[in-house]
Amino acid sequence: MQRAQVLGVKGLVKRYGDHTVVDDVSFHIGAGETYGLLGPNGAGKTTIISMVSGLIPADTGSIEVAGSAMTPASTRLKSHIGLVPQELAIYPDLTAKENLQFFGRLQGLSGRDLKARTGEVLDLIGLADRAGEQTKKFSGGMKRRLNIGIGLLHRPALLILDEPTVGVDPQSRNSILESVEALATEGMAVLYTTHYMEEAERLCDRIAIIDEGRIQAEGTRGELVELTGGVDRIDLHGSGNTGAAASALRRLPGVKHVDGGASGLTLTVHNGPGLLAPVVAEAGGAGMALSSVEIVRPDLESVFLHLTGKALRD
Amino acid sequence: MKSILGIAVVEVRLFLRDRSNIFFVFIFPLLLILLLGSQFGANSGQARVVLSGGSGTELAKVLSEQLKEDGVQVSSAGAGAARDQLSRGRADVGIFISDDDSAAFASGQPADLEVLTASQSAAQAVLQEVRASVQAVSTERRQQSLLESAGVGATEAATALKQAKESVQQPQVVLVDTNDVTQVFQGLGRFDLGAAQQLLLFVFLSSLTGAATMIKARRLGVIARVMAGPVASWQALAGQALGRFGIAAVQGGYIMLGTALLFGVDWGNPLLAGLVLAFFCAVSAAAAMVIGSLMDNDAAASGVGVGLGLVLAGLGGSMVPPEFFSETLQAVSRVTPHRWAYDAFAYIQRHDGTLADILPQLGVLAAMALALLALGSFLLQRSLGRAL
Ligand SMILES: Nc1ncnc2c1ncn2[C@@H]1O[C@H](COP(=O)(O)OP(=O)(O)O)[C@@H](O)[C@H]1O
Ligand SMILES: [Mg+2]
Repeated sequence: MQRAQVLGVKGLVKRYGDHTVVDDVSFHIGAGETYGLLGPNGAGKTTIISMVSGLIPADTGSIEVAGSAMTPASTRLKSHIGLVPQELAIYPDLTAKENLQFFGRLQGLSGRDLKARTGEVLDLIGLADRAGEQTKKFSGGMKRRLNIGIGLLHRPALLILDEPTVGVDPQSRNSILESVEALATEGMAVLYTTHYMEEAERLCDRIAIIDEGRIQAEGTRGELVELTGGVDRIDLHGSGNTGAAASALRRLPGVKHVDGGASGLTLTVHNGPGLLAPVVAEAGGAGMALSSVEIVRPDLESVFLHLTGKALRD
Repeated sequence: MKSILGIAVVEVRLFLRDRSNIFFVFIFPLLLILLLGSQFGANSGQARVVLSGGSGTELAKVLSEQLKEDGVQVSSAGAGAARDQLSRGRADVGIFISDDDSAAFASGQPADLEVLTASQSAAQAVLQEVRASVQAVSTERRQQSLLESAGVGATEAATALKQAKESVQQPQVVLVDTNDVTQVFQGLGRFDLGAAQQLLLFVFLSSLTGAATMIKARRLGVIARVMAGPVASWQALAGQALGRFGIAAVQGGYIMLGTALLFGVDWGNPLLAGLVLAFFCAVSAAAAMVIGSLMDNDAAASGVGVGLGLVLAGLGGSMVPPEFFSETLQAVSRVTPHRWAYDAFAYIQRHDGTLADILPQLGVLAAMALALLALGSFLLQRSLGRAL
């Protein structure tokens, strides 16, 4: 499906002194698409987002939002974007409703429109019954939800979420992820940064793996995993004639490697799910009694390791 | 325009919502003005003269009666105690009556009274009053001895003089020296001076401490978030500046209105007084922009705000009236916006000044406001580059 492009970034560079923080970054996001920037702290995600939302100028490169060039001076164009900053940017001494109304007015909403939209967003983020409370009394998760709500208020074409689940309890995190999934199905383009691999895997249609300011690889989850060589692991647990089973399995097409262990065998294979049935048949035929079988597919963690030689979280 | 107003309104709202501000913004200033006003009535308002020596003599009696009649608070003390009171400023003028003086007065001869003046500036004014009283006593004395020497009995002479005095309006003694302190403060009610001084002190102080809300907004990333919306940076700056102005205006308007209603303070022409207040609020707001952009810690900024607010208020004549300053201090005081606004209020409150009279003061205040606003905007813009 060809989607209308909402954001196009080309050759973006940002230096602080002689430290190149963002190095030749290019990507694009279409309507209804959720695009992830996955990388460790200090990778340059927030800096990219700051340039995309027109908060800081890029040294070189171009940013196009809804077909127009975005710079810090593009005041009107900024209403196409809903920015949800990494740090909570809400007034603790204002109520949830007052916070929404303040930012809503800045977005040009007013009167009945503002009132209706404030109510809708309060419902969406599950804070309708706490709307009149000062946000300093809120839990971390509630503040995060409000932080996101403010970004949604004016129905932006592009929603930018910068690590929205940092410091959030698992329950709130789940509800945040669910809302993001819902937004994308409504046609909103979402730019999502995170250093949590599971979030990127769950939410994003396409993911850029970013490290030291550079996009190391980009694609769907499947495409990225292919980069590691596309190998899966099949763990066979059981007893019996594991030696014979190992030699039989080594002859099976698609099996790259077989390791013998005390309680079973570990196979490195192309296309684990496709090979599962013949593997089980061969092992059984060779006299191995299986107690359990597990396919372990490579995740983005292993992709990151493969690409950068270091762990995503260290 | 809507976004500028929106930002400004939130700043003022946050300022008002801060509970710790309620006392210092709304209660404390009025209490202070009340306190200063009542002190003014008890002390500075009434001249205090201490009589020493000549106790029981006619001279002492007549002089004391005349002074009291002229509205002076009279006490008597020994010579040492009287000097002590004068040095401590508890009395304005001391009159020392020797036995020779009493004897001379009793026999209708001229008497030279030794007079000592305390160091406080108001004492000079009191000395004028004492001179007038002594003058009255000697005139009466001379008239009486004239009548007596013309053959009128002493008692009849006194009665006749008393009747004459009651039937004829005594000419009011008016002080003409324009340098005289009492002259400078003429036209002021007991609360008026204190109200003008505290108005300036608190408007500036509250503005500076109110800069804390701006620092919080910066630190929380709210200002950066505002800039991520369809808000030009000049609009964000203008909103912040207007918000600071609103905070100053709330404080100033409250004191002006409150003192007028509660203490009957006469602010002079309300339009002109409002104009002076508005200009002073603009300077205060711009100074707050500088503090709010320069500092990153809101608690520290509140501390600096209080310190700077008090020092400038003191220098600018919001504690001790600048009329009492030495010449050097007078010159220094003109560095502060307080002094210029004080002078403008003085014209309006005391001399029914017109717009033309206070144009120089307004001009200086406007220049100060613009310079500080330019600096504050530059600093805020720079600080936003650091945000996120
Ligand atoms: N204003 C700045 N001045 C200097 N260095 C900066 C500035 N902003 C970010 N950096 C540096 O840029 C790098 C990337 O930061 P950031 O974009 O915040 O990473 P991420 O969001 O991926 O954690 C970091 O090394 C950070 O120290
Ligand atoms: Mg970041």
